[in-house]
Amino acid sequence: MATERESDSRAFLQVENLTKSFGGIRAVDHVNLNLSKGELRCLIGPNGAGKSTLFSLLSGLQKPEAGRILFKGEDITSLPPFRRVQKGVCQKFQTTRIYRGLTLSQNLLIARRVHDGIENGRLNWALKTLGLDGQPERLAGELPHSHQQWLEICMALATEPDLLLLDEPTAGMTPEETALTAEFAIQLNAQGMTILVVEHDMGFVRQIARFVTVLHYGRIFAEGTLEEIESNQNVRRIYLGEQ
Amino acid sequence: MSLAYLVSLLYQYADNVAFLLLAAVGLMIILGVIDVINLAHGELIMMGAYITTLTYNHAHLPLPVCMILSVIGVGLFGMFLERTVIRRFYNDKLGALVATWGIGLILSQGTLLLLGPSMQSVPHPEWTVSYGGYSFGGYRLLLFAIAIFVVIAAWWFFYNTRLGVQTRATMQNAKMAQSLGVDTRRIYLLTFAGGSALAGLTGALYAPTTTIVPLMGTTFVDVAFITVVVGGGANPILGALTSSALLSVISAGLSSVLGTFIGRIGLLIAALVVIRFLPQGFSGYLRDIKRRRMARASE
Amino acid sequence: MKESKISKIWRKLNGPQELGHGPIFWSLFGCFAVVLLGYSLVGSVFSLSNLAIFFAYVPMGLGLGLLWGYGGVLSFGQAAFFGIAGYVYGIVAGNLMGTPGGTLLAAVCGIGGTMVVAAAFGYFVFYGQVSGWIIPLLTLVLSLIIETFMGQTAGYQWRLGRVLFGGYNGMTNIPSLSLGGVEFTGATVAFYVLVIAVTLAVYLGLRLLVNSRYGHAVAAVREDAERTRMLGYNVDFIQVQVFTLAAGLAGLSGVLYVSWGNYMNPSSMGMVAATLPVIWTAVGGRNSLLAVLLSTVALRWLADALAVRGGEYAFLILGALLLATMLFFPAGIVVSVARRWRDGKRRDSKIPPAPLQETNQTRGVS
Repeated sequence: MATERESDSRAFLQVENLTKSFGGIRAVDHVNLNLSKGELRCLIGPNGAGKSTLFSLLSGLQKPEAGRILFKGEDITSLPPFRRVQKGVCQKFQTTRIYRGLTLSQNLLIARRVHDGIENGRLNWALKTLGLDGQPERLAGELPHSHQQWLEICMALATEPDLLLLDEPTAGMTPEETALTAEFAIQLNAQGMTILVVEHDMGFVRQIARFVTVLHYGRIFAEGTLEEIESNQNVRRIYLGEQ
Repeated sequence: MSLAYLVSLLYQYADNVAFLLLAAVGLMIILGVIDVINLAHGELIMMGAYITTLTYNHAHLPLPVCMILSVIGVGLFGMFLERTVIRRFYNDKLGALVATWGIGLILSQGTLLLLGPSMQSVPHPEWTVSYGGYSFGGYRLLLFAIAIFVVIAAWWFFYNTRLGVQTRATMQNAKMAQSLGVDTRRIYLLTFAGGSALAGLTGALYAPTTTIVPLMGTTFVDVAFITVVVGGGANPILGALTSSALLSVISAGLSSVLGTFIGRIGLLIAALVVIRFLPQGFSGYLRDIKRRRMARASE
Repeated sequence: MKESKISKIWRKLNGPQELGHGPIFWSLFGCFAVVLLGYSLVGSVFSLSNLAIFFAYVPMGLGLGLLWGYGGVLSFGQAAFFGIAGYVYGIVAGNLMGTPGGTLLAAVCGIGGTMVVAAAFGYFVFYGQVSGWIIPLLTLVLSLIIETFMGQTAGYQWRLGRVLFGGYNGMTNIPSLSLGGVEFTGATVAFYVLVIAVTLAVYLGLRLLVNSRYGHAVAAVREDAERTRMLGYNVDFIQVQVFTLAAGLAGLSGVLYVSWGNYMNPSSMGMVAATLPVIWTAVGGRNSLLAVLLSTVALRWLADALAVRGGEYAFLILGALLLATMLFFPAGIVVSVARRWRDGKRRDSKIPPAPLQETNQTRGVS
């Protein structure tokens, strides 16, 4: 449901100097990140690089020690998570957290918080593409794992976000399912959705083949197109474990 | 403001602290270790009082012996409860609440049916201490001493005995404790028995000071519950101490000026305010401070 | 394709969050309602009065069913809110005696006042995002404290305007509700009809609520509060709302009660009184409004019958019933029976069981 906004040169999502520590460890260290409207960005990095922490800061589950987050020009740093969702930032979490004891249709009904009765074309398209439009009375907890992941993506979509944060959406999926998810993300982005994806699966990242940000020890290590990143010797090194 | 007046204020304060501590400590230990609230706690206290009173009136045993019988009796009953009912609800905390409330109802109504609406009390030991124009009850001072002793004993147990350390380990992480060879089921059983025994002790100790009626547990549980809520389950001993210390200020202060009922309402309001800003109670808050301090130290 | 208003309401009435759907159920329900109302024409004043007071407690029970079964919050406070509403009604109505519409204003004050107290209480508890066991404890303490406080208001200095609080002797001579010249005292047909109508209206209203989007939000909070926050819901506020609504329903029962008996007493808020709604909801099955309605009436009838025959055993039996239910029928007796019956019917169907739902129900997302 994209409304026409005057195009501005300011980024859609602006992360300034974001810092968060746990214990003595800087999980996120003065991160600066800019996302344009309609972008499809992949966030990659070795384990422990701080990707999930960065996402928690974006969705509001954690509070930063320093820095701020601007969304559509508005400072959302001090907003609690539910307000950020209302503003249009929605995260799909790494471990699925659907309402296992409720049916598919009930899960979606709950996620469709705002718009009663109005058809959500994009949601219906998503459900169809991912094969979730049959069996609405199926208990969510009984779906196979990949379908649970897809249901969560659809639930995130149902909140009518302007920015979709996907945290490892293909975890536990087969290569076929991963490919389908990647294709889905591309088509969703083609419809105008701004997406930021955290992913480990390089096959998925390659299929999406857009702009990539590499995180390492909580800092932005490199940014560029997929080709640039893949040919970057330093990136190779951090992935292969050397310091 | 004379010294004697200050002493009398201190006495009232100590009296309140003793009451809160003794009413709450058994409940808090069970909450801290097993994460279960035993809503029959008041009735266990009542049981302690009844055992003491019955054995004193009918068997004519010396009072301390009667009290020891209360502790043992209620402790054993607690063991029985844990084996038959409580252990089924370890995954259903609200269910445990409701089930134990049912047990409490059975106990209090059963006592009413079997033993009648009231019973002749144990005589109150008349040990008055006079100072500066005020007279103080020596027995109440003894209760304060016993309360402090109980807390110290519990602390010593948890930190200096093998069983105590195992219990703390279970409290922190039951699965890990189990994989390290701790028999967590036995720990839960003994904890519940211990908490019940402490409830029995409270009932026994306060038996000489109050009327013995089947519903006497309620006067203990409303302050016990507030103390537990304010203290939090993260660290039962620290929580009990900090909570009773603060709440007694409010309780003693308000009661002396505006009456006991305003005192109780003040406690409830205090609990609501504390819980709004420190949802894990004092012990949870202190634990978070400690963690943050440890984290900063390792930077 | 837009749905008509009627079919929307029909779908909500038959949604998955509650037992009993379809034309057969509603015909039975309709018959039940007609029989109940029709009884007012033939029943003796005595039996009408008794039946009325059993039904008068239903809103309070349904409130707890909503709060605990659908919202996931166990509260012992319904009795406290019942009593507060009754006392406030008594004070206002007693001082406005002779004023036309006085009792109606008193009812509004009673129910409204108790909801204000509940909202204030709820604010502290829900915005603090406390652990689950804190709310039952604090609501229990609330009930006990209010009972004790009101119990010592026997002296003459305890009054507001013309109305004495009365301590454990209770507040007496409370005027019954009177609307348009009709006085709804306990021993009247008018009161019986009022109570039945109110009870059925509350039941139907709540049925619509639990299957609405709001009702699903409440269920979502129960299932996973954190997840629901991450879908954009102001969970703390929703919980305060449900808590306050439940209190309002308890207050409604309180106002009906004082209209029936012209009397309010602290023991209506005490420990045993606080337990009763929990017993009704637990024994019937807190996840179904219908189960709560049935068990409230049945258990109130049982307590009454026992009180006549051997009163001292009443609460002992109720306590034992509560324990037995928690051990053997944790979902509640009515709900367990209904589920077994439904699963028996479903044995050859391929669709897996869903919560409180029959096959071929709800269409997809709307």
